[in-house]
Parts: sequence; structure tokens; C-alpha cells
Amino acid sequence: MRNTILIVDDMEINRAILAEGFSDVYEIVEASNGKEALEIINSNNNIAAVLLDLIMPVMNGIEVLTDMNRTGKIVHIPVFIITASDSETMLMDTYNLGAVDVISKPFIMNFLRCRVGNIIELYRHRNDLEDIIREQVKRIKHINESMVVTLATLIEFRDCETGEHVKHICGLTELLMTACSDKFPEYHLPETEINKIVSASILHDVGKIAISDTILNKPGRLTKEEFEIMKIHTVKGGDILKSIQDVMDAGTYRYSYDIARHHHERWDGRGYPDGLQGDEITIWSQVVALADVYDALTSPRVYKAAFDHETAVNMICNGECGTFNPKLIEMFKENAEKLREKINDESPLF
Amino acid sequence: MSMLDELKALGVNIEDALQRFMNNSALYEKMLGKLVNNVKDIKVLPSIEAGDYSAACDAAHTLKGVMGNLSITPLYKSYTQIVNLLRENNPEEAKKILLETIPVQDEIIACIEKNV
Repeated sequence: MRNTILIVDDMEINRAILAEGFSDVYEIVEASNGKEALEIINSNNNIAAVLLDLIMPVMNGIEVLTDMNRTGKIVHIPVFIITASDSETMLMDTYNLGAVDVISKPFIMNFLRCRVGNIIELYRHRNDLEDIIREQVKRIKHINESMVVTLATLIEFRDCETGEHVKHICGLTELLMTACSDKFPEYHLPETEINKIVSASILHDVGKIAISDTILNKPGRLTKEEFEIMKIHTVKGGDILKSIQDVMDAGTYRYSYDIARHHHERWDGRGYPDGLQGDEITIWSQVVALADVYDALTSPRVYKAAFDHETAVNMICNGECGTFNPKLIEMFKENAEKLREKINDESPLF
Repeated sequence: MSMLDELKALGVNIEDALQRFMNNSALYEKMLGKLVNNVKDIKVLPSIEAGDYSAACDAAHTLKGVMGNLSITPLYKSYTQIVNLLRENNPEEAKKILLETIPVQDEIIACIEKNV
């Protein structure tokens, strides 16, 4: 708990009076000018309050406040101006710089103790609340992510797959998305966005919940009619996500909707459901599409055995699984070995 | 007569000061001792005479704060006036008050010096 009061005044007499007034309850540290004060403020994490004189040599009180604004320290540490000045402009300046209170010399010690004590309690309470909220936000984010993963895994189990698919898609999406972002300026995205895309990729097949078991788990080849129904999972996926968009943050929703709807589009326009072409398909949907194909090839399915890594890479590069963006294929080839490692990585998703 | 009684007779508000010092009269007396050196170091008059009114104002302001905190009321009142006059660009009047203040200050400082 923060329990130190920093007393800043160039006059030892003034420091001694304040120290005497507070040393029964608080630890006291002293500084005789603003520069010394800032060194303490920036290195001591136990400062509960600063009692600050204004007119001092080397660095004055206004400069201390200005620096505390720059570093953000002013938000967590209450600063009391203890001054003999009654210049309204100067005192207003200190309030504008975030001072919590201005106390005139000569002060009445008992009142000063109450004023400082009350504010320290308020700040402690506020700092504690901020810590609690930060912890809860982290927890909510974790629960949110876990729910999304759980939902996707449930759908996948229905699909008679192992639950590994979701994990693979995330790993592959992250790897390919990062590679494209680093290599091609037109596909560059900040890391925070890539993280959202990775989270969003989990729900790419959410629309399969709307496809009947007989089609979803049919051991043989789908008929033309059955395939038409199967294709609907992209549109349904988008619809489902649209209906639950309130539970997701706006960024992740935008990516997951796009990926669910467009992860079967192809570069040459021969994909579905919208027949988008080239860069009409977002780079993230292109990436998830490729990751999905690669993982489908290298995993066993009810209708086929697993291909090994080399065969899968060759099939994709030869265009046997539809046409992909040549730049994406280039990144895929460059990172093929890392992809194989990623698939074999056993670590948990979150 | 003790030092505090003597100072009281010179207009120092001892009760007010002790309340500020949490009734620690030893610390109060120690700080009065420090004041003796402080007033030797912090000079208002030379700055006024040199025309450096900003430095004079800062020095008077510092003395105002210390005199207030030690409840040396007559000097606190004088330095308050001096600070205000310097801020209002009236150094002549400030100097006049200061010259009246110096003997009062000398008497109080002599009283402290004699006792510590």
C-alpha cells in the first residue's frame, strides 16, 4: 500500500513542520527542489501524496506538476500545493495542472491532516478499483475467448472432427497473416489487428450448425444438391454472427463475419457464396481459406484419409484445391516448414 | 522568562505555532534556531536596491511563508504587504515597509539567538 508522503519545499523549516505533522501515520521523504522531487516521484512507488511548494530554486512547483502530467503520475498521486502565495492566476494554474488542493501558509495543522488524509484514502480506493477493473476486464476477455473456442469446438465435434481443427486454423492463420503483413505493404496490419483476426478465424465454420447431420457427416461424396446445401454454411455463419454481434467487440465481429462468409471464396472468382474475385476478398478471408484447405488436407475426414504435409503443399501449389492469391502462395511456400511445426504443436490455444 | 514568553511579548502567536507543531515545543524552538540562519541568507533589501524586483519578491515570499508557519505574526504581516507591493510594481513603498520591518525582525532574531 502506498504510504509515503513526499514533502517538497526549499525551506527546511517548512519541511520540518509538515514532517512532524504527518510522521505518526506516514513515511516521510523530503526534497528541497522540484528536480529532486521528480527523481523521487519517478522511482518510488509508495508515494501516497505530494505536498508541494511553488517557488523553489532549480525547479519550481509548476514545472513539477507539468512533468507529472507528461508522465501520467498526476492521475495516481494527489498533489497538494502548500504556498504562501495568494495570486489567483498562479493558484488557478496549479488546479489546471491537476493539483487536488491548494493550502495557504500558515496552515492549520489539524485541518491539513484531515484534508490530506481524506484525499489519500480516496486515491487509494480509486487505485484499488482500477486494479480490480483491470483484472475483471482481463477475466471477461478470457471468458469471452473461451466461449468462442468452446462454441467452435462443439460445432466441430458434431462434424466428427477432433477439436484440433480450430487450434490448427488459429496457428496457421497467425503464421500466414503475419508473413503477409510483414512482406507486403498492401496487406500490412498492426499486431493487435492480427490478434483479432486469429480470434475471429476460430468461428469460420460456425454456420455448419445449420447443416443437417446427414450431409455434414456423410461418409461418401456429396451429391450436387447436397453440396449446394453444404455451401450455405458460409451464409448461415455470417447470419449467426450478425445475430450475436453484441457479445463480441466490434473489431472481432467485423473480422469473424467476413471470414465466416468468405472463407470459401477463391482468387479466380470460382468460390462461394458471393463469387468474389482477387482482392475483393479480404486478405484475412484469403488466409483463413488457405489455412482451412491445408488443415483439411492434412487431417483425416469421414470421407478421406489424411495427406502428408508434402502432398498437401503440392496439391495447394498446383491449384488442385482452387486458385489462391499468388502472393499468398509465395508466403505459404516460404513458411511451409513452420506450418508443419505449427500443426504438430501441442500447446493449448489460450 | 522563557524564550517563548519573550517572543509572545514581541507579538509571536505561540499557541498557534505549537498547534502547528503538534505541541512539539522542542521542534518549534529548534526551527526558530534555523530561522536565525535563514534570515541571514535571504535578503530582500539588496535585491530591491539593485532593481531586481522579481528576486526581491521571491525572497519576500519565502520569508512570508516561513514567518507564517512559525506564527511570527508581525513579520508575516509585513512580508505579506511587501510581496503585494512588489507584485503591484510599487518598490518604493515596499522598500519603505521593509525598512520599518528590519528593526522588528532584528529584535525577534536577537531574542532567539540569545536563547539557543
